[in-house]
Amino acid sequence: MNFIPLALYAAALVAYIWHFAQRQPASGRAATTLLVAGALAHTFVIGMQTMEVGQLPLSNAAAAISAFVWLLILAYLYTEMTTDERAMGTFILPLAVALQSIPAFRPGVEDRSAVLQGPLFGVHVSSLLFAYASFALACVIGITYVLLFKEIKAKHLGFFYARLPSLQVLDSMNQRAIAIGWVFLTIGLFVGWIYATQASASDPRVQAMSLLDPKIFVAVICWAVYSFEAFAARRLGWGGRRSAYLSALGFAIVLLNFVPISYFLTTSHNF
Amino acid sequence: MHLVLVGISHRTAPVELRERIDFQSRGLESALRTLAAQAALREAVILSTCNRAELYGVCDELESGRTASVNFIAEFHGLDRQSLQPHVYHLADLDVARHLFRVAAGLDSLVVGEPQILGQVKDAHSVAGAAHVVGPLLNRLFHFSFAVGKRVRTETGLGSGAVSVSFAAVALAKKIFGDLKGRIVLVVGAGEMGKLTALHMKAQGVHQVTIVSRTMAHAARTAEAIGGASAAPWEEMDTLLGVADIVITATGAASPILTKAHVEAVMRPRRNRPLFVIDIAMPRDVEPAAGEIEQVFLYNIDDLQATVRENLARRASEVARAEAIVSEEVERFRTWLRSRGAIPTVIALRQRFDAVRRSEVERLTSSLPVEVRERVEDITRLVVEKLLLTPTEQLKSLSDADTVGAYSEALTRLFGLSQPQAPTPESGSEEQTPQPRSDRGDRRVEPFIRSQKR
Repeated sequence: MNFIPLALYAAALVAYIWHFAQRQPASGRAATTLLVAGALAHTFVIGMQTMEVGQLPLSNAAAAISAFVWLLILAYLYTEMTTDERAMGTFILPLAVALQSIPAFRPGVEDRSAVLQGPLFGVHVSSLLFAYASFALACVIGITYVLLFKEIKAKHLGFFYARLPSLQVLDSMNQRAIAIGWVFLTIGLFVGWIYATQASASDPRVQAMSLLDPKIFVAVICWAVYSFEAFAARRLGWGGRRSAYLSALGFAIVLLNFVPISYFLTTSHNF
Repeated sequence: MHLVLVGISHRTAPVELRERIDFQSRGLESALRTLAAQAALREAVILSTCNRAELYGVCDELESGRTASVNFIAEFHGLDRQSLQPHVYHLADLDVARHLFRVAAGLDSLVVGEPQILGQVKDAHSVAGAAHVVGPLLNRLFHFSFAVGKRVRTETGLGSGAVSVSFAAVALAKKIFGDLKGRIVLVVGAGEMGKLTALHMKAQGVHQVTIVSRTMAHAARTAEAIGGASAAPWEEMDTLLGVADIVITATGAASPILTKAHVEAVMRPRRNRPLFVIDIAMPRDVEPAAGEIEQVFLYNIDDLQATVRENLARRASEVARAEAIVSEEVERFRTWLRSRGAIPTVIALRQRFDAVRRSEVERLTSSLPVEVRERVEDITRLVVEKLLLTPTEQLKSLSDADTVGAYSEALTRLFGLSQPQAPTPESGSEEQTPQPRSDRGDRRVEPFIRSQKR
């Protein structure tokens, strides 16, 4: 089921790269159309799975990744519509395609145990996924900021200079994405903590819920990094390149937590 | 029917002559009115910019059209025809279309790809339209040229990148700050170059422009010249540097007035708010090492000139793509011209049908009451319209000359039409109204017999 959105995302990626290189309005429209089609197909897939299971399909790593990709695409499409700027698609979509291939090739089994149900669980997972999608955007925006910054500094106005929006716009987009992500990360972690204290202790996974569990530990580090970034932007006047590097670092940690730790290391979140 | 173009441009005429042949200053409307009174040209548009003066016309005979155009230009500007002749170029028919498309695309401009020319072409067309000297042919030609201009702009990089130092500075500022509205500009030095760049910034809607100079009077004078700018004494420079977003230095100082340490001190309380320093002074006003500071973007005159050169090279590499678009559109224009070959036949056919309808209605309804007669009139007109709709569309959609000829021939014979002029597509045969025949009164529905009689 996850193949159709994957194929559409991959086609959109090609179109975005083509548009980025050639800057033809027609290829830009084609790229957006393909991406919207992919997002619709993805919405349909997730909707079908929700009908099938009776709740949002979030209770295994592959399904969570699929939901994350879906949110990332929606967040990106929102940015594209509001800024009328397609350059970022070229940088976002490789990530979306890579991640979406996980649920497409290794679907995972929907876990229906009682622990993984209820509104608190839903809020916990969906806020975290939304936070991660924001951080992914922030990271990509940060990377493009650095690319443009280097071109202007080096006085060699070339490829990115002609294609990216201004440094100021990139910087404020980055900070907004970080702020939104931070709010959802905080909500997600807080709800997760409440949820862990209330869940039945019989499940071994619930027993493993502690700060020392790799998944939880890394999530808290993540929160610390983004809290610092948001604080530094407001109080210390850290913006520009420093923010961009912090966004990249933060998202590297998110990815680490999201894929390898989820699959191999955690005992509390191994679904 | 021919398209004709007579003109001078920066390629053929020296600036002294171009200055004298300036329709704008002598009144474009009056020029067009004078032209309209001349018999040689059926339609006319005058395109007059500082780099060219061109007269586009439609005439029946090429040679007389050309002569009339050159004479008009010479007479209107009080010039001797003999002295004008060597600088004038003239083109005909599809070459006119190609030339206008290249002009509208910016391919014929002094600075290739400059954006103003398309607006000037549009203005030329609308002024001529207002003076009622534009007919169907030039109208279509100019609308084609607008489309070419737009396509070249969106599909190629011909117009991209700043090609003057001042514009390069503005473009860079926009890449750093996004919108320049609300930005604060500080100009250090009261020279001409600083003023020019500040004027460009002002045109982008910056919030505030302040001039500092060692001599307060100079600063005040420059501020006044810019309009809406303020002047400040030299001692306030550091305070102003603290709030400015863009600094333009253009003093005549022999050694740098802003050292790296100085800029560092200014940057500290700014908390990494970016500062764009444009050093257009020679020798330089800002120590090059100041550009190493994070969030300080330092460009001197050489850097800006280098980006201008790169942009010019990039534009040159886009010329081939733009020319291809021009050729494509010339082809489309040719197709349109050909389809016009069928128009005389269409008109003759319609007139024939309508004449028959009218005479029959008159004959049959003369005794009926007025309301009934009007009703019959309406119905029969509608029937004729409907019957002719498809053949008309079919004829107009024909694109090659031979088919148009064959169809016209067949229709002429079948319906006994007055012989329409043989279509001459490349020269764009014009809409012609065949003379109504005098024997309208006794027409009956006997077309075949009538055609045999002739």
